[in-house]
Amino acid sequence: MRILILGLDGAGKTTILYRLQVGEVVTTIPTIGFNVETVTYKNLKFQVWDLGGQTSIRPYWRCYYSNTDAVIYVVDSSDRDRMGISKSELVAMLEEEELKKAILVVFANKQDMEQAMTPTEVANALGLPALKDRKWQIFKTSATKGTGLDEAMEWLVEALKSRQ
Amino acid sequence: MFAKLKKKIAEEAATAPRTGGRIPRSMSKESITSVGADSGDDFASDGSSSRDDLPSQILRKNDHIRKLEAKLADYAEQLRLLQKTKDKLEIALEKHQDSSMRKLQDQNESYQSNRAKMAEGMALALEKKDQEWMDKMTALEQEKEALSARLSEMTEQSLSLFQKRDDLDELEGFQQQELAKVKHMLLRREEQLGQQERKLQQKEGELQTAKQALAEAQSRLRALGQEHQESGRLNTELKAEREELLLEQEEMELKISQLESKEQELQQLIQQVSEDFQQSQQNTQSLEKSLAALQKEHDELKLQHEQHKQKALVEEEERERTLGDLQEKVSSLERRLESDLSEDEHLQELLKEKCCLEQRLEEARAQLLQERTSHSSTFSSQEAQISKLNSNVAELQTLLRHKDDSNKAYRERTDAQIASLEQQAQEFSQKLKNTEQLLAASEAQTQTLQAGWGEERERLQQQVATQRQRGLERCARLEEQLTAAQTQKDAEIATAQEAKRELEEQKAELERRHAEVESSLHARTQELQQARAEISSRQTVSVEIAKALEDSRKQKEELQLQVGELTVSQQSLQQEVTQLTEQVAQKETEIRGLQEALSAARAETEQMQAQATQRDQEHEAQLAALRQEVISQTEQLDSCQSRVSDLQEELETMSGQLQSSEVREEEQNGTVTVDDLDQLQKINKDLEQQLGEKNMTIKQLHQRLAELKRTFQKELKLKPDSETDGKEKVLEGRGDRQERQTDRPSAETSASAVAPTPAPGPSPASRSFGTTVINSSDLNDSREINFEYLKHVVLKFMSCREAEAFHLIRAVSVLLHFTPEEEDMLKQTLEYKMSWFGSKPSPKGIIRPSISASSNHWS
Repeated sequence: MRILILGLDGAGKTTILYRLQVGEVVTTIPTIGFNVETVTYKNLKFQVWDLGGQTSIRPYWRCYYSNTDAVIYVVDSSDRDRMGISKSELVAMLEEEELKKAILVVFANKQDMEQAMTPTEVANALGLPALKDRKWQIFKTSATKGTGLDEAMEWLVEALKSRQ
Repeated sequence: MFAKLKKKIAEEAATAPRTGGRIPRSMSKESITSVGADSGDDFASDGSSSRDDLPSQILRKNDHIRKLEAKLADYAEQLRLLQKTKDKLEIALEKHQDSSMRKLQDQNESYQSNRAKMAEGMALALEKKDQEWMDKMTALEQEKEALSARLSEMTEQSLSLFQKRDDLDELEGFQQQELAKVKHMLLRREEQLGQQERKLQQKEGELQTAKQALAEAQSRLRALGQEHQESGRLNTELKAEREELLLEQEEMELKISQLESKEQELQQLIQQVSEDFQQSQQNTQSLEKSLAALQKEHDELKLQHEQHKQKALVEEEERERTLGDLQEKVSSLERRLESDLSEDEHLQELLKEKCCLEQRLEEARAQLLQERTSHSSTFSSQEAQISKLNSNVAELQTLLRHKDDSNKAYRERTDAQIASLEQQAQEFSQKLKNTEQLLAASEAQTQTLQAGWGEERERLQQQVATQRQRGLERCARLEEQLTAAQTQKDAEIATAQEAKRELEEQKAELERRHAEVESSLHARTQELQQARAEISSRQTVSVEIAKALEDSRKQKEELQLQVGELTVSQQSLQQEVTQLTEQVAQKETEIRGLQEALSAARAETEQMQAQATQRDQEHEAQLAALRQEVISQTEQLDSCQSRVSDLQEELETMSGQLQSSEVREEEQNGTVTVDDLDQLQKINKDLEQQLGEKNMTIKQLHQRLAELKRTFQKELKLKPDSETDGKEKVLEGRGDRQERQTDRPSAETSASAVAPTPAPGPSPASRSFGTTVINSSDLNDSREINFEYLKHVVLKFMSCREAEAFHLIRAVSVLLHFTPEEEDMLKQTLEYKMSWFGSKPSPKGIIRPSISASSNHWS
């Protein structure tokens, strides 16, 4: 299973990856490049790719799209200003032919922040309800608190299992 | 930017003269690939070593050695080739210099021409755009008009819709009202019905009470009739009594008449008796006259008699007195007898005296008798006279007596008669009295009776009257009562009848009303049915209406949706319109701006032309610098050549060594020793690295050029408002660049001065590259990031497992701008590495640029 973790820079992708892998909060620096780790969840092995989300290296995301089973799209819920950019990136990503069959899981991350948007707000901001022919789900998560990740992974596992 | 180019050119200049053209790069590439292939081979053999046995390994090693020998031969050939290529490179460098000069001049010219063209083109484009915008404006205005027309239509439609909806609402409201009315009416009717039924029941109750009252009145009437009968009976009884009393009265009157006749008889008798009495009285009067005469005689006689009597009386008195005296002498003698003699002597004396006295008495008596006889003689004379007189008187008396007798008789007779008469009279009177009394009694009785009768009559009459009155009164009363009763009865009857009538009327009325009500009810039921039918029909209608409503609602909803859509579209259109207007405004402003910009651009073009001229100058300066660089590069090249000659010498020595070693060891290739080979390989590696770096720098330069082009295009495309800023920025950037460019050559020259040796190594190059990156602005930040990214990805690609590396091919090839063939080759290589089977894919096409001799990277 190949999973991509995508999202704008500073959304918390790397933290989520290592939270999923080792269950700890690690101190991260902006990822210029990518991190790839094998995450085992419920006897399923995932090759999870955490791609750097900085503006200049976002175009290279598409180099990793092939043979991707699922995309975890991480959104900084407290970053209302860049929600539009996040949306356009997501839309551009979802238009790729290689990701037509990929399952989309949106992590409304940083829910521990005070000014965080709710998952529905995030979903509406990202235009998720308009998505057709796409299995998707949104979860409110906090990578630092570790909340919401299990549910999301559970859903993802079920979704992947049911797809096979 | 240009510094790199310069640097690269310098580097190339340093390396080119000896290698000549682009051949060394490709050569080194080939060598890299071959080395890679070797290592891959090694790797593969290593991988399989665990399974293969030793002999096969030895065989492999032998093969390997053979290969190495072949390679050594190749290397020798390559060396020769290198020499050839070196010459070629020299020629090529010269050519290249010439060509670069030419190119530069051409570029300059083309640039100027392009400038002029661009300015013209821009002016034209601006005009075109202007026209286009005008056209667009007109089109937009038309569109706007059309949209406004549509909007008005839509508003009308929506208004009509609203009206329809209102009408529908009104209709619904009316319907509901009507339904409510009908319901209300029904309820009222039912209420009225209930009220009338209640009234009916009340009336029935009243009727019953009236009937009861009637029964009571009838019973009372009956009782009154009984009373009336009783009173009639009493009346008849009283009448009978009265008749009896009248009969009694008549009887009494008859009695009275009888008694009156008796009285008359008795009065007649009394008159007779009184006549008799008068006769007797006349007799008596006559008799009394005779009697009076007689009495007178008698009186005279009486008087004589009395005289005689008195003389007798006087003589008697004298005798009585002589007697008294004698008695006294007797008494005295007796007393003296008594007292003096003894009793017997006394008695004899007394008796002598007595006999004396008695003799004396007898003598007196014989005297008296003599006297008396004298007197009796006188008296007899007198008595004879008296007798005569008496006889007379007797006679008279007899007569009288007769008379008396007769009188007496008469009297007696009369008396008797009278007595009888009186008796009779008394009797009669008594009788009369009795009768009178009787009469009186009877009269009294009659009177009393009459009185009683009268009283009784009166009483009776009174009674009768009273009774009659009472009766009458009673009768009257009764009659009154009767009448009253009758009237009452009548009234009651009348009332009853009235009531009855009323009741009947009421009943009739009620019946009528009932009928009416029933009819009304019927009508109502009919109405109800009708209403129900109507309702049902209405319901159906309403259902239809509802359907219609629903339809209309649906339509409405659809319409609303449409309206919504339209409104949305309208809004969007409005927004569009507004946007467009805004855009138009913007465009206008833009146009204005553009016009301004045009003027500015014209000014700028002029400026730019000035700048271009400046740039030309700069370029010329650059060119000069480049020439200097070229010179330095040629120097480098010279150094390189010297190095190459050194290398050749080394190579020769090495080949000598190799030959000697080969002669010693295997006698296959006597030109190159292993040590030389190693040295050669090292040098080759160095060269490869240098070449790679140069390639990189060339690529980067290309990218920069492309970016420059892009930024230039962007600048051209930039909006007028942002254009000035952008341009300023660009100008600033240019200024920076110019500064850098001005700075760079010295730095480069210093760098070249510092590292004039033919093996600069990757570290100073990267360092210098890094410094350049750090120095650059935002645009170069991304470059830095890109570079870092590339570095990271390549590192990962190299370090990670094949499975992961396979996914990275794409990224690497994108980052390094691999052609699809190159990418495929990479993939195949990786697949080959990953699998135990298959053969190493032969590098083809682009990998050997020397063969294809394509100049893609330069264009």
